[in-house]
Amino acid sequence: MPEPITIFVDDIAIETTEGANVLDAALRAGICIPNLCYLPEVTPTGACRVCIVEVERHGRTKMTAACTLEAREGMIVRAHSEPVLRARRNIVELLLAEAPESPVLQALAERLSVTDVRYSRRDRDCILCGRCVAACAEVAKQGSLGMIGRGANRHKGLPFYKEEYCTQCNECHDRCPLELSPSGRRGDHCGVCGSELSMNDAIPDICEDCVLS
Amino acid sequence: MPELDSIASLEARREEVAFTLARYRTVVTMCGGTACQACGCQPVARAMTREVMAQGLEETVYVRTTGCHGFCEQGPLVIIDPGGIVYVHVTPEDVPEIVAQTIRKGKVIERLSYTDPVSDKTVQAEDEIPFYTRQKRLLLGENRHIAPRDIDDYIARGGYSALAKALDSMTPEAVVEEIERSGLQGRGGGGYPTGKKWRQCRNASGDARYVICNADEGDPGDYMDRSLLEGNPHSIIEGMIIGAFAVGARHGYIYVRKEYPLAVVNAGVAIRQAQALRLLGEDILGTGFDFDIQVVRGGGAFVCGESTALMASLEGKVGEPRPKDIHTVERGYLGQPTVLNNVETWANVPSIIRHGADWFASQGTERSKGTKIFALTGQVKNTGLIEVEMGTTLREIIYDIGGGPKNGREIKAVQTGGPSGGCLPTSQFDLPVDFDALYEAGSMMGSGGMVVMDDSSCMVDVAKYFLAFLQDESCGKCTPCRLGVGRLLEIVTDISEGRGSLDQLDLLEDLSWTISVASLCALGKTAPNPVLSTLKYFRDEYLDHIENKRCAAGVCRALIRLVIDSTLCDRCGKCIANCPHKAITGSRDTSYAIDDELCTRCRICADACEQHAILVR
Repeated sequence: MPEPITIFVDDIAIETTEGANVLDAALRAGICIPNLCYLPEVTPTGACRVCIVEVERHGRTKMTAACTLEAREGMIVRAHSEPVLRARRNIVELLLAEAPESPVLQALAERLSVTDVRYSRRDRDCILCGRCVAACAEVAKQGSLGMIGRGANRHKGLPFYKEEYCTQCNECHDRCPLELSPSGRRGDHCGVCGSELSMNDAIPDICEDCVLS
Repeated sequence: MPELDSIASLEARREEVAFTLARYRTVVTMCGGTACQACGCQPVARAMTREVMAQGLEETVYVRTTGCHGFCEQGPLVIIDPGGIVYVHVTPEDVPEIVAQTIRKGKVIERLSYTDPVSDKTVQAEDEIPFYTRQKRLLLGENRHIAPRDIDDYIARGGYSALAKALDSMTPEAVVEEIERSGLQGRGGGGYPTGKKWRQCRNASGDARYVICNADEGDPGDYMDRSLLEGNPHSIIEGMIIGAFAVGARHGYIYVRKEYPLAVVNAGVAIRQAQALRLLGEDILGTGFDFDIQVVRGGGAFVCGESTALMASLEGKVGEPRPKDIHTVERGYLGQPTVLNNVETWANVPSIIRHGADWFASQGTERSKGTKIFALTGQVKNTGLIEVEMGTTLREIIYDIGGGPKNGREIKAVQTGGPSGGCLPTSQFDLPVDFDALYEAGSMMGSGGMVVMDDSSCMVDVAKYFLAFLQDESCGKCTPCRLGVGRLLEIVTDISEGRGSLDQLDLLEDLSWTISVASLCALGKTAPNPVLSTLKYFRDEYLDHIENKRCAAGVCRALIRLVIDSTLCDRCGKCIANCPHKAITGSRDTSYAIDDELCTRCRICADACEQHAILVR
């Protein structure tokens, strides 16, 4: 059994276990760290960097993604400090410029007060968060979908681009953040994180960011 | 070959080899690195062997083809010992004369000697060439004495004596301590203390331990690691065996990119020779220590030089980095504690064990010890691989070793550290070569690239080049690196094409900061350096591009025009004949003119014009 330990996220003490996922522990404790590519049922990859946090270790502060951070006794994490918010806003701005019509990205931007997009807008239908690839490998246990290419050429696809490798189980589709849509209802409170923003129609009482996770 | 089953048998073999080599009166050394092969060293080597045989000199003349000596622009090189007489740019036709005159009679052939471009004097002996005399060639110097595919050459130079010393008289703990005390830092770029890394791996818990040699060198213009692995593979193997003994590993890997075919072959040959002599495998030198090495070829992705991506690639997975919150010394290859060091780091290990930590630590600066190999390229008179003591200033490297600017132009910057490094202006040239000093100035040591640029380079264009490289080579996994670097490139392209605005400079800085703090791996974290350092030291060039729509160096095509100076033009018609876009009009009777609409600023006309009448505006 992993040892029970205490970590501090935004000065709030959280009871968790040694090696536990910091993002998961924070969300369970009601501290909603915005996140995008994280899925609790698969191995986190730390690809989207939206859940970026500051962590203090050996007297030094560094930024890392909360979803791939393993909890250690006495760990000090800051999820909403000024540098963290600045980095997170810039990351969401980059993502929003790729798919400005996506309701989920709009909600995330609104929550983080990203009001201006300083880049030319593109109209992509994928932001390469990798949720579909992880779902195909670990939920559907197919391992068909994968990322192809490097850098600007990176895209998702089936082996040799052949449809026959897909069983059409839809596990990928169900988890695509660009397919999800948050509710228009405002003023409600999320039952998990207390956020007033981005409520979701499909699951009442849980906010957009929390249902994503 | 008889196996070496004890340390005494290694020493016996060393004596035997020395005795064999002492028979030869003359040693002819020819460099045979990849660069010299491209210059045509192989026909020269064949001609030399044939000629020596034809003259019946094979009993007294030993012909040796070695790895890279570093002075690649002068290749193929031929050196004749004793005396160290050096000939440059040798062709197969020169060989009979060399044998007849120099080898037989000891006469120097002046026309093949090296002419120093700075003093314009002819230099006959290798050790008088200014390019070499100002270096400290502890690692590279060995390349000149060793045929890479002959283990006996390495043994004759004292090879594997450090291994014998470690296995015979030191405990693994003592080896780690020795490396710690030497102050050796990782030569791959990060400068992490090697001894500390070894200790962390040694102390980590795991079922097995691994050592890996990172030879996935990919920075544009760099070839230090290639030359070491090609030229002296046994020094790396010996270093790895010592490292494995220190941390308790039984398996090691040399991860080398497939674009280095000669390094792949030489490393493989060296491993087989070492196995045949029982310097690798089970019960090394009869001491009961088991260790073996395998060569693995990388597919050529730049990102696979990053430790976690390299290990993913070794495991047969896609070469993408993973978060490093837990270091590879604890959870590396196959999830086990792993030591990954750069080629040059491994090559330093045997000499530290052989000569002691104090000897190594006595060289270099307070904070950086030993020597460092750089690939000196760009607009200097002498280019090639150089090795200098830490603490040597950039000015000494560029002006003394490099011989200063070419073509009478003025040097304005040096780019150190490859794509992740930065550009330093002349005002920073008194900086010593030292991990911390370069980092503090906004650049980095990196693996050792050094590109010298003169006033014909536009710094906005330089930043654009490196960003394009990094955008292509980013694995694309994390948002800041994939999208952020792409956006940086977009903005810098806007500026270079005259669409820039002043607030874009703030955006460049803000976005660069985000990429540097939020990216997943070191490739992303250092990717904005080319932009940040050029913005810091050459902001006026950015402003010139934005405010005046002017590129002073005449590089950015969208901002320049080519015009014909009618007072210089003699209407010869060469430009018209050479222009691929038919943009030049004129005849014997009418003056020449360039149509701006059709002209792509390729400058083929300017190169063709003997009157230098085509000007950049």
